[in-house]
Amino acid sequence: MTNTLHRQGTIENLRNDYVIFAYTAKGINREGSAPKLREFLKICLKHHPVNIGNSRQGNIHQDDIDIEQLILNQGDGEGAMAVFTDLDTLRKVVEELIQADLGISINISGLLKEVNECCQKAGIQRHSVEQSLGFWGARDRLPEREILMFHTMCGHGMVSFNLIRKMIEYVKLRRLTPGEASKIMAKCCECGAFNPLRAEMLLEKVRKGERETR
Amino acid sequence: MEIDKKKCVGCGNCHAVCTMAAIYLDEDGKSVVNQDECVECGNCYRVLRNEGYRPWFVRLIRKILSSLRLGYLAEVDVCPTGALTPRQLDWPRSLRAAFSDPSTVHPGTGVSGRGTEEIKSNDVTGRVRRGEAGLVVEIGRPGIGAHFRDVEKVAMAMARLGVAFEPMNPVTQLMEDEKTGKIREEVLNEKVLSAIIEMKAELKRIPEFLRELEKVQGEVDTVISVGVASRCLPDGTIPHEGWVKKTGYTPSPNGKTNLGLGRPLFRED
Repeated sequence: MTNTLHRQGTIENLRNDYVIFAYTAKGINREGSAPKLREFLKICLKHHPVNIGNSRQGNIHQDDIDIEQLILNQGDGEGAMAVFTDLDTLRKVVEELIQADLGISINISGLLKEVNECCQKAGIQRHSVEQSLGFWGARDRLPEREILMFHTMCGHGMVSFNLIRKMIEYVKLRRLTPGEASKIMAKCCECGAFNPLRAEMLLEKVRKGERETR
Repeated sequence: MEIDKKKCVGCGNCHAVCTMAAIYLDEDGKSVVNQDECVECGNCYRVLRNEGYRPWFVRLIRKILSSLRLGYLAEVDVCPTGALTPRQLDWPRSLRAAFSDPSTVHPGTGVSGRGTEEIKSNDVTGRVRRGEAGLVVEIGRPGIGAHFRDVEKVAMAMARLGVAFEPMNPVTQLMEDEKTGKIREEVLNEKVLSAIIEMKAELKRIPEFLRELEKVQGEVDTVISVGVASRCLPDGTIPHEGWVKKTGYTPSPNGKTNLGLGRPLFRED
């Protein structure tokens, strides 16, 4: 999955959006990975992520998900993830993960320059990088940029264009607060990559009729 | 997905949640799923909490409120009567869920989501090595969806360049012939939320790859998300950036970074 690769936004609002995820490789370090993934989740949880979960069990914004139980139930698997909104916390998480020496792959999606600085401060050199070259093909079928900023926070595409429009409308009509609307969107994103805090900030701007500028 | 018409009260909550906008209100005032467009992602079923009310009760309350000229604004993330009903999926329709439902694990790759690993475990797999570019072309994303006939068009264009398709990728596993990129006939009309063609080539071939993609993008009736990856140089430099810029494209300022903490670390020499 390229789940977190194509997140759209301005440099300013992407500064509040860092997804850190642990990943295991079948036949190499997936087998027996359960305790390592649990430890990854525990370390992340300690630093108060705005979202956390995995695609098998869901995320903390879904009904009936208890994070302690989710960690306990974490078995051998491909991975888990958490979302943070500032670099200082991210750096602390990275430092703790280095210290824990879990031996599973750790990735961060976010502004590359900032993530690289975070790695260097933590005393490591990044291994590989993947970048988006944007959207090609029938782009005339895509909605406006604001909708895409919300939608691409779940790379699996679970936050539909129509739900985003509905949430914007409900926030404008004060039927929902930006916080409530962003939580409903976060529920859709099964693996926990959606950043509800960033969504809330975007909704607040949309409500006031402010536009995001690059 | 199907909707049990005996239970549905036509609240319309599932219409907005549907990732493909495939649910609509029928003439009888009840919701129905356009089966051609449904990609079996299961989002409606997972997200809308089943309130478990009896349909007659919900209809009665509505009638009373309506007669008093009162409205009732239901919560947006519920299905009042639990009308959404997942169906048993047979081949090849089962492919829709395999590619669209993030909670489904691809049998061929052991990976959920779209079934690909890319650089996420590159520190231990060595999938993309020094001097190589990992190329990911995701057909249907964001939010439009794709038929495999569109995926095939792009795959065949890429195959003409002689790139190496990633064997542990679910699209590659659907190919009849990796040399041509031809996909098995029986799946071509299946629609999925998106499917990722994953390949690698020498870094210097990035311009050639992007030019070919420029040509084929007009032949598909959907959108394509394109990504490029590489293993960093010892000083942390990203080798693919220069090749991408040389072709006239600007790589995104954000992206995915593998920190290199996996063990055992893959060694190229």
